[in-house]
Amino acid sequence: MAKDARDNWESPTQFVLACVSYAVGLGNVWRFPYLCQMHGGGGFLIPYLLMLLLEGVPLFYLELAIGQKMRLGSIGAWTAISPYLGGIGLASVVTSMYLCLYYNIINAWSFWYLFHSFQSVLPWAACPVNSNRTGPMEECEKASPTQYFFYRETLNISPSIEKNGGIQTGQALCFLLAWVITYLFIIRGVKSTGKVVYFTATFPYVVLFIYLIRGMTLHGALNGVKYMFTPKMEELANPTTWINAATQIFFSLGLGFGSLIAFASYNQYHNNFERQAIIVSLINSGTSIFASIVTFAIYGFKATINYENCLDRTRILLLNSFNLAEDSITINNVFEMIEKLNTTFPEQFAELSNKLEDCSLENELSTAVEGAGLAFIVYSEAIKNMPLSQLWSVLYFFMLLMLGMGSMLGNITAITTPLRDFKFLSHVSNEIVKNIRNRIFLQSKYFGKSFCVMLVVFKGLLPKLICTNTTFFYNIAGALQAKIK
Amino acid sequence: MLGRIVFFLCLPSVLAAQLCKPNAAEGFKVRLSIKTALGDNAYEWNRNQRFLFQAAIAFAMSHHLDLEFNVSNILVCDETPRVSFWFVVTSPDDPSRLVGKESVELAVRASRSRINNILLLNDATLEFIGVLPTLAAPVKPATPSWLIVFGVVIGIIGAGIVFLLVSTVVQKKRKENEVAEEEDDDEEAQMKRMAGNEGICNTSFSECDRNTQM
Repeated sequence: MAKDARDNWESPTQFVLACVSYAVGLGNVWRFPYLCQMHGGGGFLIPYLLMLLLEGVPLFYLELAIGQKMRLGSIGAWTAISPYLGGIGLASVVTSMYLCLYYNIINAWSFWYLFHSFQSVLPWAACPVNSNRTGPMEECEKASPTQYFFYRETLNISPSIEKNGGIQTGQALCFLLAWVITYLFIIRGVKSTGKVVYFTATFPYVVLFIYLIRGMTLHGALNGVKYMFTPKMEELANPTTWINAATQIFFSLGLGFGSLIAFASYNQYHNNFERQAIIVSLINSGTSIFASIVTFAIYGFKATINYENCLDRTRILLLNSFNLAEDSITINNVFEMIEKLNTTFPEQFAELSNKLEDCSLENELSTAVEGAGLAFIVYSEAIKNMPLSQLWSVLYFFMLLMLGMGSMLGNITAITTPLRDFKFLSHVSNEIVKNIRNRIFLQSKYFGKSFCVMLVVFKGLLPKLICTNTTFFYNIAGALQAKIK
Repeated sequence: MLGRIVFFLCLPSVLAAQLCKPNAAEGFKVRLSIKTALGDNAYEWNRNQRFLFQAAIAFAMSHHLDLEFNVSNILVCDETPRVSFWFVVTSPDDPSRLVGKESVELAVRASRSRINNILLLNDATLEFIGVLPTLAAPVKPATPSWLIVFGVVIGIIGAGIVFLLVSTVVQKKRKENEVAEEEDDDEEAQMKRMAGNEGICNTSFSECDRNTQM
């Protein structure tokens, strides 16, 4: 009997924290602010919250219900509802496997950046010197130091997806570490996962709060926040806005991957998951909004710094071309001086026109970035300009790591739970099963960034399939629930 | 006679004017950004500061070519309010001949940090147009610092995993020992339990009436 008794969460809090840790992931930090910016700032909250109500909470509730009542992983649970639906369970396990393969690569990048933050000068703060020591490296000068560090020193990216760049040892080591830590977290099943989620669920909020305070006190942060919250209501007429809101709810809550079913299957039979479903969904959306305030404060800071640097470069160009005294042009009167010089020395000014940059704060603010570009390039650019940048860098990348690891726990549990349910595998020690599976996953270090992007784009198809099926079978599940209760 | 004296007196400055001019073939344009570099502590660019600059260049030339250059060998002209000017270097043996551009460039590059320090400026604020700066070689520690942090973290994690695996094995062994001990007591315990057990009547199979019927 002891072997067949299912593991349980030690308390309902652990379950809630596990769901929060899984749902609150990198998407809340790097996708939602981008969508907000693209689809009219504050106005985007309307389709977002509407979709949360219409599809997010119901599907979340449905998955928890299936898991808790069937007390099996996704394959077993769906097969129990109807043998013809077992395929959904299998598909969700396969999707989770793909997800695991590439998601840990992002954790590996976070580790790389975290380890490189323990230096007196952050490596992405300045371009490295070229071989004859006459100036910065050419590749770095054409791009920017942060882009150079990400694409060249971190990834060593090859020119196209067809060209194989070989294995990067540094990345491979960090990837190995990411998998070893994941293994440590799931080694005892929910007993170990349950303890880990206390930290992975709460630590990101601590860092986000610290960053909120730091972000709001940065020079130019309010420009960004104002830009975000000015709603552009005409975006609501665009159907893409609604589609993106729906997709974001799906991805953000992690519906359809089998993780929620797996987590819920370890619950006590009479656990009150209705309230927990609503709590977790609200926490997830709240975190998205909270994270986007922080992100926009950082955006505003970065845009203001870039704008002022642009003005400074223009000022120096004017000073050097017209040989004026240094204090005759300051950042504040650059535009007036341009006018004045244009009228007084028209021919000389005309020669300059191709070198003169167009400095605009609006343009800087409207360059929206999402994904790895936002997390690793834009944020690190903002961090390098802050005083005490090593501390901020460590905090930030540790937060990214916690977010990523928390989501990984859910993904892995979605795979191990159905496997454990199969009788023949339960005889094999749990640790060994996980060990073998980890070794297979380590082979995925051959995947590069292009594969990651590709996988992110296509993994969305499965939840949409599940959605249509689940809404159709919602009534059946509800009836089953009533019967079992 | 007087005319000749005046002519010979004016000759050096005339020559200088001809030798040093903007876009001179053997000259360099220099641009200083004193206020950017020093802010409130910025000094005023005047004749004395220029003298210091000439002395610094003379030092650089002497150091590089191992000849004795004098301040008068460094000619400065075309000063602007930006604080930019052109300079040329004349040979100490023959003041009417200019030293080649390449030698001047090499001399300046060799003593660049020294010249910067004399004028309290740096590579960005004291620009020699056309002369590439020599940047400090990057400091490369023997072990990259990230590898050290990585080693520490993976060591701790590895130790944690080993500890957990070993503790699982130890617990299993302990359980086996306990079960072996229980089996010895089992028969006695079973008999005790059965004696005290009256049994439960299953009402779906029979009517439960303890009292025997009369």
